[in-house]
Amino acid sequence: MSKTTLKFIFLGLLLMALQVMVFNHIALLGYAVGFIFIYILVSLPLTLSVNWTMTIGFFMGLTVDIFADTQGMNAISCTILAALRRPVIKLYFPREEDITDPCPSAHSLGFPVFAKYALTLSAIYCLTIFLVESMSFFRPLTLLIRIVASTVLTFLLIIATDSLTSSHNEKRL
Amino acid sequence: MRNLIEFFLRYSSWMLFAVYMVAGCFLLFHSNPWQHHVMLTSANAVSAVVYKGAGNLTAYFHLRDINEDLQRRNAVLEREVLNLKQQLERTRELVYADTMTTDSALQRYSFILARVINNSTNRIHNYITLDKGSADGIRPEMGVMDQNGVVGIVNVTGPHSARVISLLNNHLRLSCKVKGHDHVGSLVWDGADPEEAILEELPRHAVFAVGDTIITSGFSTVFPEGVPVGTIIKGLRDHDENFFALRVKLFTDFTTLGTVRVIADSMTDELREVERDIIDKK
Repeated sequence: MSKTTLKFIFLGLLLMALQVMVFNHIALLGYAVGFIFIYILVSLPLTLSVNWTMTIGFFMGLTVDIFADTQGMNAISCTILAALRRPVIKLYFPREEDITDPCPSAHSLGFPVFAKYALTLSAIYCLTIFLVESMSFFRPLTLLIRIVASTVLTFLLIIATDSLTSSHNEKRL
Repeated sequence: MRNLIEFFLRYSSWMLFAVYMVAGCFLLFHSNPWQHHVMLTSANAVSAVVYKGAGNLTAYFHLRDINEDLQRRNAVLEREVLNLKQQLERTRELVYADTMTTDSALQRYSFILARVINNSTNRIHNYITLDKGSADGIRPEMGVMDQNGVVGIVNVTGPHSARVISLLNNHLRLSCKVKGHDHVGSLVWDGADPEEAILEELPRHAVFAVGDTIITSGFSTVFPEGVPVGTIIKGLRDHDENFFALRVKLFTDFTTLGTVRVIADSMTDELREVERDIIDKK
């Protein structure tokens, strides 16, 4: 098993534990929920096939679902996110062959591009998960506030996690 | 045949996407929360262990508040005991000749103490996980309360953990009434504020005032009559003109749940059997 695989397994378990035990219980101002574990889907290597990304996404989402009693909500959203990852990165970074490091990060893509990419993915995730949750229970204004607030929080968490993990990389170099 | 395999290979991503979406939707729209399998809820063995570890840490955080609540409740109960003793003395004097004390073995309800190891208040369908399960005598459809009032109803049990449908879950409807009157309505959470719920379908001629206490009606084996639920904040007009709806402030503070009591009713099986017989005969 390569170093990258081990890193992702370890980081994935850590982030899911954090999500389940800490972030699921925090709703900032009653609206904003941070989804830190999708950082894994954001930063999986682009060389990995879509099938693998979707499989990892589905089972990560399912695990979080089981812990949080949300029954398939995270699984669906993660699968959609994993499927849309490549199109989104193509949108902001059309020349894929120029990317030096296969794992998208602020270091490999440059901060502005990575920020746009992370914000788009956060928005997609929060949009799907809250739309799915509120299907039986529609209240447009609350829904909108929750989506926007959670997107912002998730985006900040992804940027923060990214700066933490990539600073380690630099030290190693 | 080769074409078929080629087709599958070419569109494998789409196929896989469809499979995962269908699996996800199946879980999601398997809408009756009473039929979930225990493995796919937070009552399964792994998540119970994880939550128990986290619960051991966080159980200390709210001790002060819980202590205060207990003191208050204790004071109320003590006062009630004193009143009852007084009343008992008076009655005893009245019926001096044939005093009969009730046997404690005939008590209908007993409590199982359990600790909350996972809880949420920020979703539309909230659930609570307890650290005790079927091995401790907890069965689905038992009522759960804490020192302040109603918490929820047990829904799935593992051997050493149980999942409770929180009162803050709009799958749950609880039959309640205004204390001192017999008009029954059903309490349901509207998904907005974890401190408030709505008592719906109260008959138009029901009498109430702001500040009145809402208690359970006892029309099921889940909760005995008279478990406190909350107080009335204001009256609302229901969707249907024939009914009142009341906004109720809940006694239970769902953000600081610690130890709860699961209500075991020794007559559950008997009542259920009787009710089943009636249905069968129809």
